[in-house]
Amino acid sequence: MSKQFSRRDFLKLAGVGAATTAILTGCGPASRLVRREPYLQMPEYTYNGLSTYYATTCRECAAGCGLVVRTSQGRAIKAEGNANNPLNLGKTCARGQATLQGLYNPNRVRGAIKHKRGDRLYDTAADPFNDEFPDAASNMDWDAATQVVAESLKNNKPEEIAFLMGMAPDHLFDLATDLANATGITAPVRFGALSMFESRATLNKAAQNLFGQSGLPFFDVGGAQVVFSFGANFLETWLSPVSYTRGFSALREGKTKLRGTFVQFEARMSSTAGKADEWVALRPGTEAMVALAIGRLAAESLGITTPKVFADVDPMDAASKSGIKLETLEHLAQMFANSNGALAIPGGAALGQSNGLAVAEAVLALNALAGNFGKPGGVFFSALAPNQTAYQQPASAQEMADFVQKMIDGKIKVLFVHGVNPVFELPAALNFMGATKSVSQIISFATFPDETAVEADYIFPDHHGLESWGYQRVATGSKESVLSGAQPVVTPFYDTRATADVLIAAAQLAGGKFASALPFKDEVEFLQSKIAPLMSESNGFFEAADINTFAAFFQQYGGWWKTIDGRNVPNGANALNRSISAAESKFAGDGKFFLVPFVSPTLAEAGANKPWLQELPDPTTTVMWNTWVEINPATADEMGLADNDVVQITSDAGVLELPVYRYPAIRPDTIAIPFGQGHTAYGRYAEKRGANPTDLIGQNYNEAGDLAFAGMKVKVEKTGRKQALSRLESLMGVYGVGLGEEH
Amino acid sequence: MIKRIFDWLKQPLGLIAVGIAFLALFSFAAYGISLTQTSPAQPIQFPHKTHVGLGIQCLYCHPGAAKGPSAGIPAQAKCWACHNQIQKTLDSQQPDTQFPLLKPLVASVKSQSRLQWVPVAQVPDFVQFNHRAHIAAGQNCENCHGDMSKQTVAENPQVFNMGFCLNCHKKVAGENHDLLVKLTDCATCHY
Amino acid sequence: MIRPEEIKLSADQSGKWGMVIDQDICTGCQACVAACAMENNISFVGEADSGYGRSMHWIRIERFWEGEYPEIKMTPNQPMLCQQCGSATCEPVCPAFATVHSQAEQLNVQVYNRCVGTRYCANNCPYQVRSFNWRDYKRPEPLPNQFNPDVTVRRRGIMEKCTFCIQRIHKAQDKAKSEAREVLDGEFTTACAQACPADAIVFGRVDDPESLVSQLAHRNHGVKHLEELGTLPNVTYFKGG
Repeated sequence: MSKQFSRRDFLKLAGVGAATTAILTGCGPASRLVRREPYLQMPEYTYNGLSTYYATTCRECAAGCGLVVRTSQGRAIKAEGNANNPLNLGKTCARGQATLQGLYNPNRVRGAIKHKRGDRLYDTAADPFNDEFPDAASNMDWDAATQVVAESLKNNKPEEIAFLMGMAPDHLFDLATDLANATGITAPVRFGALSMFESRATLNKAAQNLFGQSGLPFFDVGGAQVVFSFGANFLETWLSPVSYTRGFSALREGKTKLRGTFVQFEARMSSTAGKADEWVALRPGTEAMVALAIGRLAAESLGITTPKVFADVDPMDAASKSGIKLETLEHLAQMFANSNGALAIPGGAALGQSNGLAVAEAVLALNALAGNFGKPGGVFFSALAPNQTAYQQPASAQEMADFVQKMIDGKIKVLFVHGVNPVFELPAALNFMGATKSVSQIISFATFPDETAVEADYIFPDHHGLESWGYQRVATGSKESVLSGAQPVVTPFYDTRATADVLIAAAQLAGGKFASALPFKDEVEFLQSKIAPLMSESNGFFEAADINTFAAFFQQYGGWWKTIDGRNVPNGANALNRSISAAESKFAGDGKFFLVPFVSPTLAEAGANKPWLQELPDPTTTVMWNTWVEINPATADEMGLADNDVVQITSDAGVLELPVYRYPAIRPDTIAIPFGQGHTAYGRYAEKRGANPTDLIGQNYNEAGDLAFAGMKVKVEKTGRKQALSRLESLMGVYGVGLGEEH
Repeated sequence: MIKRIFDWLKQPLGLIAVGIAFLALFSFAAYGISLTQTSPAQPIQFPHKTHVGLGIQCLYCHPGAAKGPSAGIPAQAKCWACHNQIQKTLDSQQPDTQFPLLKPLVASVKSQSRLQWVPVAQVPDFVQFNHRAHIAAGQNCENCHGDMSKQTVAENPQVFNMGFCLNCHKKVAGENHDLLVKLTDCATCHY
Repeated sequence: MIRPEEIKLSADQSGKWGMVIDQDICTGCQACVAACAMENNISFVGEADSGYGRSMHWIRIERFWEGEYPEIKMTPNQPMLCQQCGSATCEPVCPAFATVHSQAEQLNVQVYNRCVGTRYCANNCPYQVRSFNWRDYKRPEPLPNQFNPDVTVRRRGIMEKCTFCIQRIHKAQDKAKSEAREVLDGEFTTACAQACPADAIVFGRVDDPESLVSQLAHRNHGVKHLEELGTLPNVTYFKGG
């Protein structure tokens, strides 16, 4: 034994003593170490232990739902829907609920960083469940950061400066637009994977072609009696899921009418289709043909002369090509024709085809046959948000491809990226990653260490949505014209700065036309200048005589909206007198299987870094924390595939390896993969998890410039490896597993 | 190897070593227990009795007790609202006339740093305690916290264990069966 | 075996708080699951443990398949949570009296400080809605900032389950009492019902015939799950269709 009783030994013994004390007293000495810090100055209306509630806007997707966030002692502890906001009426989706897991995410960008492209922004060796703080440290202050932005504005030709922003038409987009308009900078481009998977450009173009007016159609699901949805996953992520779910609820509840019927046409039963009374598993690519055939049969059933638009299609041919029985088509057509309020919705994978525009037009033409334009349960143009004169459509994939080409051609020297993660969200085939090499300076305003931030030269993190001011225009989902307002519910957790403030300060510093373009003290002054014109508008939810009172109400209620129906009625006069091609869509690749990529209903494009969203089971497969490929059990049996067998999927554009989920509700000639995982950065919970199906999607577009993401045919090969998927449902009893006939 | 250790322990020196080890453990435990029974060090040896003696109501500084679950520690701005009008405090801003008890307050207000208090009256995390209900039921602060007109730094007159709570709850409920059910229900405090 | 008609409904078994879930309008969107996790400080367990069935959802959405392709149907989504049984099978098996019936609120409560982790209750629950803390699941800083101060943070070796958001019940009762009135129907609701975009979940007093939830519960097509076991569940389901 050592003669010396070292300090270390003493500490060990002290530890034993403390542990013994803990056991004997039943409460650890840790509780003696609690310290309470009183406020220096108690905020107004605050009491210890009582919550304060702030109205703001959810930034998890572009829908713009209102939130009311419960805070306690300066911490945000629960997000609920804002009951005043007419878009979501107090409700939220799962992603809105989990927004706090973004605010308090263990991997955020903690301050301004000058960064070498490709360098990691946090330590990946860290155990995802560990307490470490492995984020990259800030290495510059905000004055220097502002200087960098000012210099890149000043020292480049305006047309060589570009803004790439998120899907939401928010205050920052307005600020960048104002800056661009006044200085000649390229108009900011907005993009999001959701707009790509929603095919918003196709919807807009189809409306333009049919009604002679562009805009985002609004489908009044709640007021309809029969709803035919061609691929629109409106109960998951499509356009405005919370308000469409409310519509679905009204369709089904039938408080004032009979319970509505809902039919979904798609090759893979999505969780929306799971709620349908009938799921029609048509062959991918035949959506236009089927819609036109239903129109023709419905017209016949009504005993009217077949409108020109439906005249060219042969229902027999449509039945055989789509794989739907003719009797089924006839029965559906009769249901549609004889209903007192029929509605047809185009969306999702149906539009992500080479003939997506024809599909959208054909389905909208069904509504013309039903004569539902502007009627309850019919089609409208969404109400334009306050201070908006036209629908601001996010960039289509084709426009993004043009943007990437500009980068490659060296026409963009400085790229500002905010609110979007193009390296992850754009298909790899569009080569955004390669194009970054031709851009001399990339400045990311990312809140989280995402893939695009990794490729940036500077990261000047914006606050999290719950820490920021702002507003967001509601593109669709409510009858009323809505501007959702945002305010900070907590003080910023890290040394982040509002991007609007950075841009305003940098413009002042750059001087000249930049300074006169943004003549504001700060972001709040800019916001007030934007909402001030609303004071003179009629039918507002509230009124105020001066801007300070108005801005206070704007904060208190979480935005401003009108109390009257602001939707427009489409002019369907010529909708039936055109011709739409019933031809099948073209598929790229020579594989055996149709590929249906779909957006994960729980993760969507930016949810993967929130651990509780990862642990939410997918509504249809109940898989958590991973990506899978859905294959019909009959096909899987043919190929000798059991659950969890890893297969290699090859398309024209790329290769992926994924474990199989034997999905009973998918066509045998189709496979489906959820989008949302497959990150190579974006924090410990997202990284190295699953795969990104956009890697398989090639550069094929429809006539409206949207990506034909569902227009691929792929090969599937067994690899012989296995990878277990975590799923909530028990394997017991599923296809005989656990019942003595295990695979 | 293990046998050798046991052999060594069986010889007299070994037995003594075992004894010493036991004693050491016991005394550490005793020391630990005694630690839990003494008042912890506070940033200010706050004289409650002086303040109560001046006729200040408990709820003036701890208004949360009447509003919600937590009584709360007053914001430093609240201390200063009175103290910056008191000559003794103002004198304490000069080094030579400093009054030792007020020194930390003056320093923290000047530097805008926060005082770190150590709570003495605590319940475990799995107890959901609500001050408001107790005040509304007519309980006085001293029923649980002792007579503050006699204490300087707050001390805990009793251990807040379940027996302490339930004894009082039963007494208050008396013959009222519904109230007794409510006040002795597990879910009233534990969730 | 006791048949349902043999069970005598005593006054204190008729239930106080109850829920009605309309499966016809539940879209399975998981908003309730997320809302519940956010409200009740529920741990996430990670991929490996959730694969072992150790995920801690207090409410889950069950979906089943009927038939085979192409005549396959997804049964109406079935949110499954603690049914707050009037005669709960989990209660008598707990050796530590940690899962007990609250006489005051007529709920089935889990007293975390009494729980010793035998897991008998979970074994005996016919609805399989109890979840066990197999580990001290870490929430890296700063995630704990999100903790709801009204709900105990559970540690390893403790059973937990849906409480019908009892913290919200207490808060509403406390507020009502401070204003010298009764709790109003619809004044507050559980986290899952508050989030549900389809309004498929309605919560309230089932012992008040005027409340929305009792009026819905007495619609004739309501179903109580596994009622034949004599558990007297307080959640009524509408199968829909």
